[in-house]
Amino acid sequence: MLANERSASFSSGLETVAVMAPPVRYCIPGERLCNLEEGSPGSGTYTRHGYIFSSLAGCLTKSSENGALPVISVMRETESQLLPDVGAIVTCKVSSINSRFAKVHILYVGSTPLKNSFRGTIRKEDVRATEKDKVEIYKSFRPGDIVLAKVISLGDAQSNYLLTTAENELGVVVAHSESGVQMVPISWCEMQCPKTHTKEFRKVARVQPEFLQT
Amino acid sequence: MPADHRRIRVPEESQPPQLYAAGEGEAPAPRDPARLRPVYARAGLLSQAKGSAYLEAGGPKVLCAESGPRQAEGGERGGCPARAGCEAPAALSGRLLCDFRRAPFSGRRRRVAPGSGEERELALALQESLEPAVRLGRYPRAQLEVWALLLGDGGSALAAPLTAAALALAAAGVEMYDLVVGCGLSRAPGPAPAWLLDPTLLEEERAAAGLSVALMAVLKQVAGLLGSGEGGPNESWAEAVHLGFEGCQRLYPVLQQCLVRAARRRGGAAPL
Repeated sequence: MLANERSASFSSGLETVAVMAPPVRYCIPGERLCNLEEGSPGSGTYTRHGYIFSSLAGCLTKSSENGALPVISVMRETESQLLPDVGAIVTCKVSSINSRFAKVHILYVGSTPLKNSFRGTIRKEDVRATEKDKVEIYKSFRPGDIVLAKVISLGDAQSNYLLTTAENELGVVVAHSESGVQMVPISWCEMQCPKTHTKEFRKVARVQPEFLQT
Repeated sequence: MPADHRRIRVPEESQPPQLYAAGEGEAPAPRDPARLRPVYARAGLLSQAKGSAYLEAGGPKVLCAESGPRQAEGGERGGCPARAGCEAPAALSGRLLCDFRRAPFSGRRRRVAPGSGEERELALALQESLEPAVRLGRYPRAQLEVWALLLGDGGSALAAPLTAAALALAAAGVEMYDLVVGCGLSRAPGPAPAWLLDPTLLEEERAAAGLSVALMAVLKQVAGLLGSGEGGPNESWAEAVHLGFEGCQRLYPVLQQCLVRAARRRGGAAPL
């Protein structure tokens, strides 16, 4: 590579040697990368006829592990198109509620924001782990709440993503009271407005220990 | 007769001006049947689209943009939640929607309204040719949208937008099995004519038959085939398809370089 030769001749004249990053190899979809014996396929690749092909237009990275075959993957700079997958924790905003379920807009998957929001549904029996039949959606969520939930199913063609909050760490994180002020959680099922001191029912997520101040 | 001031005095008969226009009657110049016009391709030029590509191949100039994946629209049907157990995997894979437009200034005559019939047919052909190449199974319940705008017509109306759309999809980071390369061919009327690769507008207007071939270059699979015109012996169509394959293979290194350059530009702009 021309860049390498240039840097080698330059460093010979200097005392300090600059470390050159290895030349990045870019590949395009459909480019044959290597044999299945020389590496194992990672993200952004697919295998066919015993060879690994690239399926993204990006940089080729080889992560060499001890003992096992190096994992060959193609990375793009922006972690693109993160779609909610089964088992992922998502942050969503409640858009409407019903006596049977709550409809939400999925805004973040993990910690990456989505460019286009997806729609999800939290059914009445998926709100809590205990006493599922005594759940009232009106006492668990309200429109406008920010909720942490987990994806249980992609749903079929007609319906949206199915989410659940049936864990201690899942549930309402941010909610506004009827007077418009952000409420403070006081227990797993109640939140209190700091201005009017009224308590409202929500299914509250357990606050992570690092955010508690004692 | 009193002078009629409300009407303009014109002759009784009128003829269309095209009769008097300078002759376009010159026959297309003879040329090497397998010559490809030089191609300029650039990917990643629009900042507002997820992926974009501009392709110029002599006459045809195409701008293509891709956006998505976003929530597939067909799923918004009432509030009936599904049972979590049963999923139909076929219905879960993503969708590809293509839209093809011709700019009003693209041809010799200005198009008044978007010619819905031909544009819809070409958009459908685009979608059918791109679908085998895109890994739609990796985008469940999502739809990818591709828009192609033909800025200048110059023969092979389907081949250039197809190549540009494949470039736009690859530049956007959509997972694909391979790049789809498109190539156009045409055959002049007359006894035992030869198939011409990459016809100019003049050659295509006088053609008796035309063919567009879409090939996935590395996997060597045909993604789409669209032919029209007079029939002929089967061997002549087979020979045309082979000529199209050769054209696509010759075009592939240009597209590869274009995508690598676009990736380098992206990598250079965002320091790791």
